[in-house]
Amino acid sequence: MYGVAITACATVTALGDGVDALWNGLLQGRSGIAPLTRFECENYISSYGACIEGVEPAQTPEQNSALDTILERVALQLEQLPADTRLLVASTKGEIDCLSAARRHAAALPQQVLFEPLLTKISHRFGVADSGWNINAACASSTLALARAAAMIAHGNAEVVLVYAADLLSEFVFSGFSALQALSPEPCRPFDQQRRGLTLGEAGVAIVLMRAARARSLGRPVLGYVRGWGAANDAHHVTAPARDGNGLIKACSQALAQAGITAAQVAGINAHGTGTIYNDAMELTAFNTLFGTQIPPLHGIKGSIGHCLGAAGAVEVAVGCRALQEQLIPPTVGCADAEEEALGQVMAEAQQLSGTYLLSCNSGFGGINGALILQRGES
Amino acid sequence: MKAWINGIGYVSAGGFGVGLGTDLSAGSKILQPGDVEIPQRKEIFSGPDRRYGRLDQFSRLGLAALTFCLRDAKQEEYTQKRAIGIVTASRYGCLHTDLDYLDTMLPAGGKFASPNLFAYTLPNSFLGEAALRFGLSGTTLVLNRADRSGLAALSYALEELTWSGECVGICAGVSDLPPVLELKDPSASYGSVFFLLQKAPSTHGTTYGTLELEDGQLRCNATNVATLSDVLQSCASQNIH
Repeated sequence: MYGVAITACATVTALGDGVDALWNGLLQGRSGIAPLTRFECENYISSYGACIEGVEPAQTPEQNSALDTILERVALQLEQLPADTRLLVASTKGEIDCLSAARRHAAALPQQVLFEPLLTKISHRFGVADSGWNINAACASSTLALARAAAMIAHGNAEVVLVYAADLLSEFVFSGFSALQALSPEPCRPFDQQRRGLTLGEAGVAIVLMRAARARSLGRPVLGYVRGWGAANDAHHVTAPARDGNGLIKACSQALAQAGITAAQVAGINAHGTGTIYNDAMELTAFNTLFGTQIPPLHGIKGSIGHCLGAAGAVEVAVGCRALQEQLIPPTVGCADAEEEALGQVMAEAQQLSGTYLLSCNSGFGGINGALILQRGES
Repeated sequence: MKAWINGIGYVSAGGFGVGLGTDLSAGSKILQPGDVEIPQRKEIFSGPDRRYGRLDQFSRLGLAALTFCLRDAKQEEYTQKRAIGIVTASRYGCLHTDLDYLDTMLPAGGKFASPNLFAYTLPNSFLGEAALRFGLSGTTLVLNRADRSGLAALSYALEELTWSGECVGICAGVSDLPPVLELKDPSASYGSVFFLLQKAPSTHGTTYGTLELEDGQLRCNATNVATLSDVLQSCASQNIH
């Protein structure tokens, strides 16, 4: 199998444009979560969200999707990609603002409500010939897209793959999570004993994966390596995680086996950490099973940038690469009083890492779980 | 890359059912343009099934075809969860459900937004429904894009099956309801067709032969295939046992 290097990461989140802005904001314990002004929240159980500054969803059928703005701001951060770059996109709802605007105004549905125009736009903007596929696996979408990209490179099917992930904080999704009673009435508090639900965010992310030898020959920086990946379904419930964490355990075990490392070699964990009672409890159960009494330092970033849905995993990989480079994991913003099982592992301050590997994982509706093992890069 | 096709299930304009006993040689009749009638609960399950009645139409369509596929393979029943995944290609996904949900959300500022409908506004939700019913613990995802051939999910699944050490099978196929009028392609066929691909021929059910992928070309029973109809016709040519 070929080595899989991560050669570029670009992010746009509520903490600003670029991985530097994101990383520095996380380290400083900043939060992009604020009262929402994008739509009225009086009928919802929360009024908080983590919106990207300068992004306005389409309100009328004539307007373009806010995903266009995000795409442009992500693309500006990347160098020209090689001509043979393959494309994988990860978005749960695509241009949902356009669909909502059309329905609100009883207008005919534009082609933009399908994924092909979005794929075409993305491939054109990055100058990539392949128009790719959108991978839809709920909140694990970009994790599974990254896993697929890594597998394509490792098995010689591709040399360069761009994974582009983006989702909007829309009233469509906000109202739905509110109706499910899954939103926190206050900014979310991942792994805190008093957590009350999730806070939505939005993001655009591009991750470039390249065959390691190709990256070296092109002189590209190696920000990290994808060493292992796994995916498994809980086979338990459509919207709730399995309490015993069986699907996440399987996904993480596959990723560890693929990487050829033991759980003891994992230096840190970037958890999904949504701040819902059941997700965070499920993750801690799974980590206890996987790591026993030796759970490495773990953190979650959704208290800073909210839950970015299909883009969540890709943002976390960008952060994970930096964490391995700096040998530091950022604070878990919102976690003031950690769950007993996470005491000493989840902190409100940055923690030192000591090691080469980091586990990054996500879970989503439909019972899907995805896990990646990242290895420290060379820069 | 090679796998065995051990089950087929479909719900389409040509009807619905399992592969065995269906005239698969008329593959193009199964996958013909036209309206799709989604089977009633009693036409799929012998006993009462409250969950099916609560599902949105897109989920019913896919779940019905998946059920027929596993039934055809005699792998509907299980005692232990199985490392079988589901990969579905869908151009329109759960668009109808999205619109139905918006119709509950928009009129009163979100006050009456339906949580039940929202749960199915992700196209992979029905995969979770199938996974929990049939104990399928492999990867589950939806691929979105126009794909005239209908073969994308089969290629994807073959690669996953080959590259994954744990996965013992993948249900791969397509699932699309006819979309709203302005997005409708009059020449396209709609519905759902699934194939159970496994690393070995079935020892207790049907085997329709092999599916191979080499240099981007799919071959079913050693014959090049360009469409799902081709795959169905090739399956028909095998001695079923």
